[in-house]
Amino acid sequence: MSEAAPTEDLQDLYENAPCGYLSLSPAGRIVKLNTTLAVWLDTSAHALVGQSVHALLSFGGRIAFETHLAPTLRLQGTVNELALDLVGANGGKVPVIVNAAEKRGPDDAHLFTRMTIFKAVDRRAYERELVEARDRAQATANAEHDISMLREQFIAVLGHDLRNPLAALAAGLSMLRSKETFSDRGQIIAKEMGASISRATALIENVLDFARGRLGEGLTLVRDADEPLAPVLEQVVNEIRAVVPDRQIITRFALDRPVNCDRGRMAQLASNLISNAVTHGAAGMPIDVEAECCDGQLTLSVTNGGVAIPLDAQARLFQPFFRGAVRRSQQGLGLGLFIVNEIAKAHGGEMKVSSTDEATRFTFTMPLSGSAQRDPEASEPFAAG
Amino acid sequence: MNQARNNVKVSGAGSRTMMFSHGFGCDQHMWGLVAKEFEADFRVVLFDHVGAGRSDLNAYDPEKYSSLGGYADDVVEIGRALQLSNAVFVGHSVSAMIGALASLKAPDMFSELVMVGPSPRYVDDGDYVGGFSHGQVDELLEFLAANHLGWSAAMAPAIMGNADRPELGETLADSFCATDPEIARQFARVTFFSDNRADLSRIEARTLVLQCSEDIIAPTCVGEYVHQQIPNSEYRLLNATGHCPNLSAPAEVTAAIRAFV
Repeated sequence: MSEAAPTEDLQDLYENAPCGYLSLSPAGRIVKLNTTLAVWLDTSAHALVGQSVHALLSFGGRIAFETHLAPTLRLQGTVNELALDLVGANGGKVPVIVNAAEKRGPDDAHLFTRMTIFKAVDRRAYERELVEARDRAQATANAEHDISMLREQFIAVLGHDLRNPLAALAAGLSMLRSKETFSDRGQIIAKEMGASISRATALIENVLDFARGRLGEGLTLVRDADEPLAPVLEQVVNEIRAVVPDRQIITRFALDRPVNCDRGRMAQLASNLISNAVTHGAAGMPIDVEAECCDGQLTLSVTNGGVAIPLDAQARLFQPFFRGAVRRSQQGLGLGLFIVNEIAKAHGGEMKVSSTDEATRFTFTMPLSGSAQRDPEASEPFAAG
Repeated sequence: MNQARNNVKVSGAGSRTMMFSHGFGCDQHMWGLVAKEFEADFRVVLFDHVGAGRSDLNAYDPEKYSSLGGYADDVVEIGRALQLSNAVFVGHSVSAMIGALASLKAPDMFSELVMVGPSPRYVDDGDYVGGFSHGQVDELLEFLAANHLGWSAAMAPAIMGNADRPELGETLADSFCATDPEIARQFARVTFFSDNRADLSRIEARTLVLQCSEDIIAPTCVGEYVHQQIPNSEYRLLNATGHCPNLSAPAEVTAAIRAFV
């Protein structure tokens, strides 16, 4: 069965097309519009011809038309997908999307601006939802950021306030041990107490460093190239030996050149690494602490025996709050290695780890030359995570 | 540094410099047809305000640009970088006031101001007629917020062949009047709630006020007010209609500026 192809009626196509047609004079007056558009606006074409295009636009639309659409159209000759609100005869808004093009005569004179107009009620609602969803996401992110800042400030304040009673405990214990006579058992308990206070102090320092970094204050280095580094490292080792006299810690320092570093931070770095070796290394095997100046760089390494660190854990060791598989009683906050790494970065150096069933070695290297050029006052950013 | 921030373009040659500044809703292309007429005897400076055209959007600081003074500071910085003195500032729409503020901040920089469609205050206030009600400005801001994606789309319009506009052939490689929608909304707020009436009487530069006929953004009475308030000013009513005579009647605008300088 065949059907005769109907002839399209161009006049009817213009008037009753499934979109609005609007032609404006160069001065922005309505010259012609189709029935579809007139119906959308609850009026007749006859009532609108001769009026300014402003009559069809909301106030905001008029300003946008004059400041943005008209100039863009004049510059480009054509503009696509503009969002506008038309205003009907009864005052109701009709959200539309407009394509517009200038019609020019043979002499380049601007004859009309032609517009094709599509109703966009659903699309506009969808767009509004998108924008609102974005705004909500932004608001949530801002709120969470504020809360996390508050939490970090809280940690910083708490950590700071905990230092004072701990310092008082340490001073009191030290006084007792020097002035009072303990029984053998008392000696042991006092020593354990001293070790616990040192450990708590170190944890608080780590938390404070972390919070300072997160709060944007940065890790401040106080560098000094003149003072020797070896005695600082010796002292760290001796402090740890005093706490764990049974563990064998072997040192080998070959620091024949000045090292422009922050001595306090170096002590913190070494202390964190050696404490880790004590906690995680095999008790019967020695811990090697080596430092040397060689090939223009300082190398400090701490090696212990024991079970190897799994590869996937190695990759995450230096992230904040990372804790390996250790006994719960030995768990810290997981900030020690993170801060070690931050200290390394602040010195322009880096941390590396190698771990096999024979030995686990943490190695810090920093350039000797580059470090000397740095401003000793400079505060290095301490970006976490 | 501000050259990149404001996408500064310097062309032409001459002992004096003419700086053109675009208004709300468009970018430096707005001045293309007029500016090229002055390249033979002026050093011509075009730029985009931060947030418009090819300016550095990362340079947008809501605090700095919360008043027209922040935009005027940029004009002064550009002027200082180019070592301008006794230059001509041509500002369209809100840029007329930005230029006025810049001339107050750096009195030696501009000896002449050309204001095209200026308004020191858009919102009516007592006897003063700005042409806008407070509610209308709110409606504009709502419109800009609700048509967020409409303006986004307008930022990257499809560039079509344009054989019948050969004079625009070169610039067609760019998109025109690109505007970051969020910044456009804030710029609209700053622009349409601004009040710089008190600054007008302090302007020392010779000033030309070019007023369009049938401009819904800056009505004739506002142009006349600006002329009355600025001590050393001339007023000229253009035949051009609408708010952008620099595009709709570039020849008339060019002739008026030339007669003034």
